[in-house]
Amino acid sequence: MSSKSRAAGGGRGTWLKIYGTLIFVFLYFPMIIVLLFSFSPTRTIVGLSGLTLKWYQELFQDTGLLTAFWHTVLVGLCAVAIATVFGTAGAFFVTRVEFPGKGVFRALVMLPFLLPGIIMGLTLLIFFRNLNVPLSMFTILMGHVSFTTPLVMFQVSSRLLRMGPTYRWAAMDLGANPVQTFWHVTLPMIRTALIGAGLLAFTVSFDEIVISYFLTGTWMTLPVYIYGMLRFGLSPKVYAISTIILLLSLVLITFMARYTGRSAETYRVRDRRGKRDAA
Amino acid sequence: MKRRTSKPRQFIKGIPIAVWMLALVVVPLMFTFLMSFYSSSGLMIDTTLTLENYRLFFTDPLYARILFKSIRLALVISVLSIAAAFPLAYMVSFKIRRGRNMLFMLCIIPLWVSYLVRIIAWRTILGNRGVINSALMAIGVIKEPLTFFLYNQFAIAITLTYICIPFVFIPVYTALEKIPRNLLDASSDLGANELRAFVNVVLPLGLPGLITGFIFSFIIALGDYIIPLQLGGTQGIMFGNLVWSQFGFAFNWPLGAALGFILFAIAVTILGLTSKFGTTEGGFLSE
Repeated sequence: MSSKSRAAGGGRGTWLKIYGTLIFVFLYFPMIIVLLFSFSPTRTIVGLSGLTLKWYQELFQDTGLLTAFWHTVLVGLCAVAIATVFGTAGAFFVTRVEFPGKGVFRALVMLPFLLPGIIMGLTLLIFFRNLNVPLSMFTILMGHVSFTTPLVMFQVSSRLLRMGPTYRWAAMDLGANPVQTFWHVTLPMIRTALIGAGLLAFTVSFDEIVISYFLTGTWMTLPVYIYGMLRFGLSPKVYAISTIILLLSLVLITFMARYTGRSAETYRVRDRRGKRDAA
Repeated sequence: MKRRTSKPRQFIKGIPIAVWMLALVVVPLMFTFLMSFYSSSGLMIDTTLTLENYRLFFTDPLYARILFKSIRLALVISVLSIAAAFPLAYMVSFKIRRGRNMLFMLCIIPLWVSYLVRIIAWRTILGNRGVINSALMAIGVIKEPLTFFLYNQFAIAITLTYICIPFVFIPVYTALEKIPRNLLDASSDLGANELRAFVNVVLPLGLPGLITGFIFSFIIALGDYIIPLQLGGTQGIMFGNLVWSQFGFAFNWPLGAALGFILFAIAVTILGLTSKFGTTEGGFLSE
């Protein structure tokens, strides 16, 4: 297209690219610092004197930390399981059922995600205290369910909206009952959205501290435990566990990207077409 | 288009999400609202209803001062986040052809990377024996570490801007991606240069995303309490800390509930007022 030359989208934008590069440096420099510090035998990076894995070895001797790690995984898995059920049901509800005040309903569902975490934390703390529920794994889990549910719901409902009702109608016309339609038509089509949403919810749950901090008693998740470690200053051990968390998040996000968005749908369709051609 | 109400049977689907909403959102908020009218005497909570907590908020200048300080800082953070994220989104959306998906991922990865790790990173960079000071001392610019990086509003602003950039980037990028590219061709054919096309086409069409990003970053910055606790020091006590401390050291839950409810009212008012102008879903909760 010849007309591209001058309008926005046309020019090379050298200055913009330099600025953009600087922002990327700003975004990634802190993460690289954490990574480097975790391998440094001394506490300062300047005059780096060799690399060491000893902080990682120390991590594996810290039973409190290891326990907190498994607690986080446990809470994350339970939160994902519950949020997937509630969120998916919610997604079907908002995409298929019409009622007055639906806009308000959708906004209310979004609240736990849009409000500052401190508000969710303190309202849940007051709620549980009023019901005489002691602070435990249960209270933390409920905190995590509160913000992972809208995450799952919006991932799934946007997939349902883009799918449209035609496949479902076709299945019903061909004599499938609602259960068969769900199991053989709708579920396979939203499967990648469910996996992506689950991975996203787990990633967010794994890192969550703002709400958990209110709801934690003696049963601690990893971020709350690390927060406690920070009271004694930044230790190399903190950098080592931070690096592990960083890498874990990166892995989860990479998987998540495969399952969400339009790319996941084209992948699936292409895959099916390939199978049909082979047959 | 008029929407019909569905058949009652359809509403069975809504039961799980309604239970979730009542149990974890609506009822806890109601309990909090109720508690904000209680009062605290020593370690006990007095359940006689009183407006004392709200009276304290409106009469003691301490609270208003800290709230205004927090609002001002949150505005600064939102502006900084937009200054970083908007050009970035513009660049990725318009200037990059090859590797665009990769760059997009690089922009949103920080969103899902541990919040606590990012705080730790900034404490490391800004600290007295941190990266900046060590580097400056090593090249001989300074002899003593500079102390003005950490434990003040500057440290809070830089860390929260860092946190908020992806929250602005995503809605802005989503809005920019929706701009039909032939509009830009048309403006070019009509003789507009890049700046003119940016001001007359890209900016107005990108505005909903920009507003959404602004709201997100403002609310995040206003409500945060962990970053001020970790990097703010005594100068950096923000409204979030004030709320938090009522549940921590001060142990005045009713006052905390009232302050929390005020923060809630501010956040909901902003969301309500701006939902008409912004794209409400921001593009990152939906895929």
